[in-house]
Amino acid sequence: MKKKLWLIVSLMLLVSLVLTACGGSSSNNTSSNTGNDTVAQPTTAPAATTAPASTTSITIWADDTRAPILAELATAFEAAYNVRLVVEQVADIRDQFVIAAPAGEGPDILLGAHDWLGQLVASGLLEPIDLGDKADDFTEVSLLGFTYAGELYGMPYATENMAFFYNTSMVPTPPQTWDEVVAIGTALQEAGTVTYGLALTGTTYDAFPLQTAFGGYVFGRDANGNYNPNDIGIDSPGMIAAGDWISEQIASGFLSNNVDWDTAHTLFETGQVPFLMAGPWALDRIRTSGVPYAITNFPTATQPGQPFAGVQGFMVNALSKNVLLAEAFLTEFVATEDVMVKLYQSGNRPSAFKSVLEATADADLAAFGEAGENAVLMPAIPEMGAVWASWGDGFTLIIQGQQTASEALTVAANQIRDLVAGALAGMVNVPGSWQAASGACPGDWSPDCEGSALTLGDDGLYTGTFTLPAGDYEAKVALDGSWAINYGVDGKQDGDNYQFSLTADGSVTFTYDPATYLLEITVE
Amino acid sequence: MRQVKPQVGGEEAERFTLGFITRILVTIVLDAAAIWFVSRLITNEDYVLAAALSIVAIIISIIMLRHKAYPLRWMSIGIFFMFMFSIYPILFTVYVAFTNFGDGHLLDKDQAITQIRRVRYVPEGGTSFTWTAFRALDGDQNEFGEYALWLKDREGVGYLALPGQPLQRLGPGEGLAGEFDRNGIPLEIAGYERLNAITLAASGADAELREIVFGSDTDGVQIASAQTASQNKARYLYDPAADTFTDQQTGDIYTAVDGTYVTADGLKRLTPGFQSFVGLDNFRRFFQSPALRGPLLRIILWNFAFAFLSVVTTFALGLTIAYIYNDPAFPGKKIIQSFLIIPYTIPSLITILIWRGLMNPEVGIINVTLRNLIGSAPDWFNNATWAKVAILLVNLWLGYPYFMLICSGALQAIPKDIYQAAEVDGANAWQRFQKITLPLLLVAVGPLLVASFTFNFNNFNLIFLFIQGGPPIAGATTRAGHTDILISYVYNLAFAGGRGFDYGLASAVTILIFFIVATITLFQFRFTKMWEEVSENV
Repeated sequence: MKKKLWLIVSLMLLVSLVLTACGGSSSNNTSSNTGNDTVAQPTTAPAATTAPASTTSITIWADDTRAPILAELATAFEAAYNVRLVVEQVADIRDQFVIAAPAGEGPDILLGAHDWLGQLVASGLLEPIDLGDKADDFTEVSLLGFTYAGELYGMPYATENMAFFYNTSMVPTPPQTWDEVVAIGTALQEAGTVTYGLALTGTTYDAFPLQTAFGGYVFGRDANGNYNPNDIGIDSPGMIAAGDWISEQIASGFLSNNVDWDTAHTLFETGQVPFLMAGPWALDRIRTSGVPYAITNFPTATQPGQPFAGVQGFMVNALSKNVLLAEAFLTEFVATEDVMVKLYQSGNRPSAFKSVLEATADADLAAFGEAGENAVLMPAIPEMGAVWASWGDGFTLIIQGQQTASEALTVAANQIRDLVAGALAGMVNVPGSWQAASGACPGDWSPDCEGSALTLGDDGLYTGTFTLPAGDYEAKVALDGSWAINYGVDGKQDGDNYQFSLTADGSVTFTYDPATYLLEITVE
Repeated sequence: MRQVKPQVGGEEAERFTLGFITRILVTIVLDAAAIWFVSRLITNEDYVLAAALSIVAIIISIIMLRHKAYPLRWMSIGIFFMFMFSIYPILFTVYVAFTNFGDGHLLDKDQAITQIRRVRYVPEGGTSFTWTAFRALDGDQNEFGEYALWLKDREGVGYLALPGQPLQRLGPGEGLAGEFDRNGIPLEIAGYERLNAITLAASGADAELREIVFGSDTDGVQIASAQTASQNKARYLYDPAADTFTDQQTGDIYTAVDGTYVTADGLKRLTPGFQSFVGLDNFRRFFQSPALRGPLLRIILWNFAFAFLSVVTTFALGLTIAYIYNDPAFPGKKIIQSFLIIPYTIPSLITILIWRGLMNPEVGIINVTLRNLIGSAPDWFNNATWAKVAILLVNLWLGYPYFMLICSGALQAIPKDIYQAAEVDGANAWQRFQKITLPLLLVAVGPLLVASFTFNFNNFNLIFLFIQGGPPIAGATTRAGHTDILISYVYNLAFAGGRGFDYGLASAVTILIFFIVATITLFQFRFTKMWEEVSENV
């Protein structure tokens, strides 16, 4: 009986190995091909198999509108260069890419929006793109959108921004200022033609052209024109003025306080409001509704209203094995009028390719382009992620009338500043063996203990005085509440500990100079 | 198929019956699949998952082969799924909680180093050219190598660059160059064919092509991109022994600190960062984060209230309906009961969104009707109290059929003679319910109430889909809404409201929430034990 069992087990092992043999060998091949440091030797691949067929391929991830257009290029591309083009339709490109790329399973090229750059570049997932002379073929704003920290990370194909819609059967000439908007709207309300003068969708993105008309902004810019995450404009006077205007108009009944994207669009489409701020994504439903409309630039309050601008484009995966090929494909094959026209025709968005944009026949898209001429590029810095939720909450509280614009927006801006700066950013601490003995902290060597943090004086030095019992102590400088940045003797990162001793009970004063990273310890 | 008979003499079963052979074959196929997957995982350097899968495969093999463990075979699928979808993710979450995995730290260290080493710069005095590639007709037999580049500088001056040879400035027809096209690029070079950039890029691996130096040691260029070739050098030099990068341009030295290469003063850092073990940092960050300075107490209180009220209301309604329909004389019982189960059969995701539409303050049917009937309607989305009521109402709708089903069964199980005895003793209906039905019912349903509480304590779907935690709390120091529960509040802080995804922090918070929920659950199970003791005395 035992023998039989052994026989069975060894038989099984044998069969298992045979069954896995093919799988095993194929995985060996892929491993030698994907080995990154050793120079790949394509000639050692299994001989006499699939030699003439195209072995290289480019994989593209695109959304459902663009994937079919790119897939059409595959045949021509393979015929011309013997390179296979694999177009995959992916729903959440960014979220999938962030997971797939580090695992080596990402595409060579992905389609996306310029405001992904902050996240993707910080994670090292995008390769800079060099368009060379081809750069002249693209609109300036679209290239600016895909420029992050001085490098171009994408080849744009379309831009998008909102514009101001008005109902032509009620409003013969488009209003130039928000005062005119209110005057026309109120007159129509009094005549009983419309329910409200204007409907908001409730998102800060959609209301941005109104906020900028009063001088509002999200992030200020530094000397080089880059967004500065430390200059948050959510509670700037312009934003507050726009908020006050909204409260006023809700109080007077001109604006509805029910805010919802769908409701706002339905109200415009059924002729219950004469004006709407909407994007090209709403064009199809507005056209189908049959409402007589025209598209124009945003009205002015203290300055012309500016919508957010978004740019869509092709990006190259930095972990791709075919970065050069992907780049060459984009600059030589995709950056042509033929392909750009097709992308434009399917997308309902103004093209980023100059010659296609100039030839735009669609009056609505041309009007969108005009309304977007002064558009503000949506900030691509990662700090923008901290802005949306708090800003949106502040905006909601204003519309609900729970808080004044200045209260709501100050709170929102402070929430954002907290998130951007991190909890303990800016803290200068002197963790050491003295902390518990001084009674300032519960434990020793804790860089995050607020009790032992130094305070900044007018002279630019950080100081703190603590009483201590007699004894020998050690200490170090740590910034931002963690050990990540810490200075020891001579201001060295991860340097030796400072040592000091008190012969009798007394006090100790720490003085830290942020210019030299040096700590001075005075014992009294 | 063979009938599995309960046999006493274990060895007797080891006969080559059809069933036995099938069993062996199934095991072989399963093991083969497992070995294949594990080998793939190992080549992908995913050792943790490989180990997990191996353990599962071994357990299943033992179950299939050992006679005594054979009855467990029906469990093997369950064991597999439990390992892969429950135990492995839990272990992985715990692991991630101690790393900085998230945006900016998605790559592993080797990948990050490779990325940083690829950064190149053009030193002072170096030139950039646009390039056009040519391939030798005799391929790699050519004395200067397979490829040559035609370079054009900014002024439009053209050079022929052969590996190892100084750049040759050539006009049309000079040297090897043939006639130029209108862009100033030779149509042909003797012994070479002109290539498109795509053809060149498709002919070899990136790394190879970028390594070739076209030109001599002093003036050689390398391909930098599909457009440009330049006299570039690697910007950051890696020292594997010290694990530092040295910036060739500025001389800065970068050391790895917590997953990022930073200069000693911490002011300059290289991207990308990499995944690294950061100890308790994520937990510390959570405890120091603005989250705790925000309206946390308020959120926890509402979280408990929400979970408690949800359980009480759903249980009360479910029990009431079950009690009513427990009367055998009730007409149309089966049909009505079937209809009452409907809310339970529709996916909650859809139900929640439907309710969201029904309760829309402006156009929702509930509010339109209420306005027509009594002239006013609650603002379900913007008023803090009404929003909470709305959440509880929707949860009541979602939850009562479950308790109705459970209670119907449990009520049937209560012996009828106890009621008869009570009736003889003169107890009225309420007393019978209070003294007999409820205690006996709670014995059966108690643990389910606890489970329901735990489920609702983390009912992220409802809160998030219905109202995203809103309406916002005015003046809160962190972003929070009146209906936010702990998990949705933390989700907003870790994911939606921050600088992209921070899996490390999110995992750490998940573990903390697990401990909260586990404590509550243990505490409640103590209570249910108490109920059991009560029931023994009845």
